[in-house]
Amino acid sequence: MLALRELQARFTDSLFATEDPTLLDLVDGDGLDARARLAVYRHHVLTTLTATLEAAYPVVCRLVDRRFFGYAADAFIRRHLPTEPCLAEYGAGFPDFLASFPACGALPYLPDVARLEWAVHTAAQHSDAASLDLARLRRVDPRDMAQLRFVPDPSLALLASPWPVDRIWKAHQEGTSKELPGLQDGPVCLQIHVVGETVAMRVLEPATFAFRDALTRGLTLGEAAGSALERDPSFGLQQAISELLDDCIFSNFTLVTEERA
Amino acid sequence: MNGKRALPSGAGIGLRAPHVGELLATRPAVPWLEVHPENYMSGGPALVLLEAVRREYPVSLHGVGLSLGTAGDLDARHLSRLRSLVDRLEPCLVSEHLSWSTAGGAYLNHLLPLPYTDETLRVVADHIDEVQNALGRRILIENPSSYLRFRHSSMAEPHFLAELARRTGCGLLCDVNNIYVSAWNVGLDAGSYLDALPVPAIGEIHLAGHAANDADGRTILIDDHGSPVTAPVWKLYQRALERFGSVPTLIEWDTDIPELSVLLGEASVADRLLEAFTSEDDHACAA
Repeated sequence: MLALRELQARFTDSLFATEDPTLLDLVDGDGLDARARLAVYRHHVLTTLTATLEAAYPVVCRLVDRRFFGYAADAFIRRHLPTEPCLAEYGAGFPDFLASFPACGALPYLPDVARLEWAVHTAAQHSDAASLDLARLRRVDPRDMAQLRFVPDPSLALLASPWPVDRIWKAHQEGTSKELPGLQDGPVCLQIHVVGETVAMRVLEPATFAFRDALTRGLTLGEAAGSALERDPSFGLQQAISELLDDCIFSNFTLVTEERA
Repeated sequence: MNGKRALPSGAGIGLRAPHVGELLATRPAVPWLEVHPENYMSGGPALVLLEAVRREYPVSLHGVGLSLGTAGDLDARHLSRLRSLVDRLEPCLVSEHLSWSTAGGAYLNHLLPLPYTDETLRVVADHIDEVQNALGRRILIENPSSYLRFRHSSMAEPHFLAELARRTGCGLLCDVNNIYVSAWNVGLDAGSYLDALPVPAIGEIHLAGHAANDADGRTILIDDHGSPVTAPVWKLYQRALERFGSVPTLIEWDTDIPELSVLLGEASVADRLLEAFTSEDDHACAA
């Protein structure tokens, strides 16, 4: 007899790694091979998790067809089982997995399409966040402006790709019959976030992207402006800040001087 | 609306995402609804819609993720997320399963089978105590659908459930389809199973469809919730009502989800059977 903890470890191994003879001996086959009984459980776990991934990555599934998607999902699931029960949060590692999956080598844009789908999928799980306190922002001493740090809206994702992933994504939405873009139509810088009840996808200029990306990573306004100017010496900071506020992609801010206090 | 009262009498349906819009638009006369809390723990628009549903209907939370049978600690974050949802929605009932899903940090997304031993009894009872304390309320525990049983089990499943109810004060959710499926798959007698369950503990009944699959030349019934309730399960349901009386009943449908009207139709079949077992006293309570 196995202690419960040991039984559960060996059950998990028998489903997804190495079949365990001690565990098989504990299963009352009742006229059916214990392996066939375990296979019922394995099949359920793999098919439901594949369906979870398919719901999060419908365009990847259309790009590679369902059979290949099932093959890739199976390999991913066996290596990366969920770590917790909220399955809407399962599958964040799938784009990186696709990037390292040799069978996807012929579709170099696939991991970035997957990254875009994950951004859309996670944004859709957020409601509009609290908006920035503009009155408080106006009270900041202009000499301290460079020291501002912004807190991104939880639904926000920024994605830069050498491929035209936004147009690939749009061409593969249900009910659309748009022509596929040429791969030379990339690169693209994208911003994904929730506006009201819908997920908005916007193409950004590279300098604007660098500016917002730096802010999202927790750099100060001054540092972010430096990143943008490196990309484009004609980057206009005033206008960039004004557009940033219009887009409502940050929900709060702090002053570095306050952080130290 | 008093959130902590028992389930309303009558037959409810499991509410799934494709039906939420239609339900809110048409407000069908269904006495109560049940959802999986795991689908709403990320918050966002889904939870906003569920709150709108909750304003119109009593809602029961039927968890699939606590993994009460895991040897070791419960997932504290998951329990805390469940508690937040319970506080926010004030469900009329909270239930979970006699099963495990988590081992070594991996969540296997299935209600996996347990050996029915003294050790398992201690593990599950302690976890039920912890959940009931955390939520400040009694929960119901559902019998699983089984595809195997362990040779070293020292107790029959219904006796194990009865002992859990005795030790922890939890109620039981009797899934009639699961009893039918398990009886077929692992050679139990479904009638004796029902007879061994403690009547006062039964707080809810589940009904669903199942599929028949071939496994090495033998038919295995799969609890896939993807079709209408089958005739033998309706028959077993009547036998359950004869033993338990009129118990609030739920129609579950999770794969190949049909039109909302199909679920409501199944619920009305259950309602007609329930009415035959509803006493005058029950009518007075429901009024």
